[in-house]
Amino acid sequence: MSWDIALTDVVITEPDVEAVLACYRSGWLTMGPRIQAFEEQFAQRVGARHALAVSSGSAAIHLALLAAGVGPGDEVVVPALTFVAAAGMVRACGGTPVLCDSIGVHDHNLDPQSVADVITDRTKVVLATHWWGYPCDMAALRALCEPRGIAIVEDAAQAVLADLDGEGTLAGTAGVAGCISLFSKKQLCVGEGGVVLTDDDAIAATVRSLRSHAMTTVTWDRHRGHAETYDIVDVGFNYRMDEPRAALALSRLPRLGDAIASRRAAVRAYRERLGALDGVLMPWTDAEVQRSSHFCVGPVFGDRETRDRVRAALTAAQIQTTWYPSITRFSEYHHLGPMPHAEEISWRHLALPLSATLSDEHVARVCDVVEATLR
Amino acid sequence: MPEDLEAVAETLRSGWLTQGPRTLEFEAAFAAQLGCAHGVAVSNCTAALHLAYLAAGVGPGDEVIVPAYTFAATAAAVLYCGGTPVFADIYGLHDLSIDPADVAAKITPRTKAVAAVHFAGYPAPVAELRALCDEHGLALIEDAAHAPSATVGGRKLGTFGLAGCFSFFSNKILPVGEGGLLATDDDAVAELARRRRSHAMTSGTWERHTGETDTYDVAALGFNYRIDEPRAALALARLGRLEEDIAQRRALTRRYRELLADVEGLTIPFSDAQIDMSSCYVMPVMVEDPAARGPVRIAMRERHGVQTSLFYPSTHHFTAYRERFGEISLPQTELASATEITIPLYPHLTGDDQGRVVTALRTELERAS
Repeated sequence: MSWDIALTDVVITEPDVEAVLACYRSGWLTMGPRIQAFEEQFAQRVGARHALAVSSGSAAIHLALLAAGVGPGDEVVVPALTFVAAAGMVRACGGTPVLCDSIGVHDHNLDPQSVADVITDRTKVVLATHWWGYPCDMAALRALCEPRGIAIVEDAAQAVLADLDGEGTLAGTAGVAGCISLFSKKQLCVGEGGVVLTDDDAIAATVRSLRSHAMTTVTWDRHRGHAETYDIVDVGFNYRMDEPRAALALSRLPRLGDAIASRRAAVRAYRERLGALDGVLMPWTDAEVQRSSHFCVGPVFGDRETRDRVRAALTAAQIQTTWYPSITRFSEYHHLGPMPHAEEISWRHLALPLSATLSDEHVARVCDVVEATLR
Repeated sequence: MPEDLEAVAETLRSGWLTQGPRTLEFEAAFAAQLGCAHGVAVSNCTAALHLAYLAAGVGPGDEVIVPAYTFAATAAAVLYCGGTPVFADIYGLHDLSIDPADVAAKITPRTKAVAAVHFAGYPAPVAELRALCDEHGLALIEDAAHAPSATVGGRKLGTFGLAGCFSFFSNKILPVGEGGLLATDDDAVAELARRRRSHAMTSGTWERHTGETDTYDVAALGFNYRIDEPRAALALARLGRLEEDIAQRRALTRRYRELLADVEGLTIPFSDAQIDMSSCYVMPVMVEDPAARGPVRIAMRERHGVQTSLFYPSTHHFTAYRERFGEISLPQTELASATEITIPLYPHLTGDDQGRVVTALRTELERAS
């Protein structure tokens, strides 16, 4: 199958390529100066005290939850409408994922009321997921969690640079830790990669330690003669990112703001066309579109049958689409349901092509097919 | 090498970065050179070990017998599964491999698997270990992080057990930065590893992009243990030179053994006869006087500009393992950890470099005695 308009279009520029090749030519491939530079610049860009590069968004969630103290017997509240990794990483910590529902078809983010309903004495963390780059209601979550001593970890895998409060507080900087993904479909992509953001020195120290086997020194320190040997002080992992990926992330970071602005413009074009059609709901408000960093765009249709029909028509026109299942739909997590709103969203939405290079003409072609199918 | 860089550049320009056609091609090529049915590329060798133990059925309450004389990941991955690592000793300074007699002594009704490390690329006694595992119904997992293309009886290491785990870390024989691979002849093991490296999803982004599948199910706990396409492209480009690099390492190792033969106060592990079976990843030498090891290393660096390393501190002595498992006695492992110095070995090391290293070692050992 070759798509005429693919879901995403990753463009690696020649300066990006050159940055990676320069790194390979240097011969130093494991965590070193480029990781350090990327961490510093990324932390500065988002306004966090610490940024720690890791191997993936999932690794970021695993380490952030461990650093927040999640272990056997602890519960973590996770939205039902999220990528399955969130629930998996809670279990990897030995904890128990407890699901909360979405607000509804007009706002897919977690519903603070549903979170309140599932909080127990064992709740250690609420995973605040900013779905598709749209900030969830952090103020409401804070009001719920703070009096109970529950930590908020932000799952900002899809929400790099999203504006949480309209005042420039960026996603990933408002909880005890925030998790960013650099996966190849994301706004800032390197292939596989992730970042943990935190203002807390102790959490940063734990994440730094556990991402590399809880060794007290790393290869770079020993290479420079700064350390003779090491101790291992906890059960750590190999969740390291390597230097070539840091070089790529560093090269792409200055263009991220523009890339998100381009994505937002495409989302607005979609909203204008599709929002005017009968039987189509474009979730979230215009004000929220302004604050989102736009991982994804997707209309909600009247029912599943209509969604599937639109999807089939787009596929026939060689336009790639996808949809995001509520994790209660999977065999592994079915028993945690039902989650009525998340499941309804799953059946009724369709994610359309979105990238920084998507043209007006592409948007128009996608919308033409949607419109013709609904007519 | 220019062709390595070109392979990476072309991959980046293609815009397809997540696990796709290049990963598939690298997996097939790596499995073919090993002579096994499946290669499953992963994010690193620790991830490969975790998946291998899961494939062996290791879970809470189970024990896995592992060497302590290696990198701690071999033991840590048992803990990820909820299992307990049980440490077995090595033969001794002349052969740093896990000792099958001590493995046999450590088997209990809870033992599920045995992990053998091919230390520095030299084969662990796979035939004995395999026989022992078969007798007790245990899985043999080969930690072949050091040993791509090493052999026993013409058969590649990593193919003797249920699964073999390889590392492509930046200081390894086939380096890409961070990377690893699980090799297996067992279809079910390969299927489990493929699924669980990517969140136990029944299909991946590439299959959905190519239209092979529409959506996916999840029916287990999985992880993000994927490699990406630029690293797979680099590994594939470098794989073609693997044998040549190893031949160079063997020649350098032979020459080291000759140059070091008359140095007083040293034991050189392994034998000349084992070199052709080994991938000669590193060159360990054992100083007879443990008190001399530290001063000799510092003097080699400071007086002669020769960098050395330590392979390895004993895993059971690390704080995290002492806290969990208390004091354990492994005399040969402890002796090796206290006396080993890893001297420089890489394919482009020159004869002159080797001479300087040996002179530095000889001079500083004499000074320390």
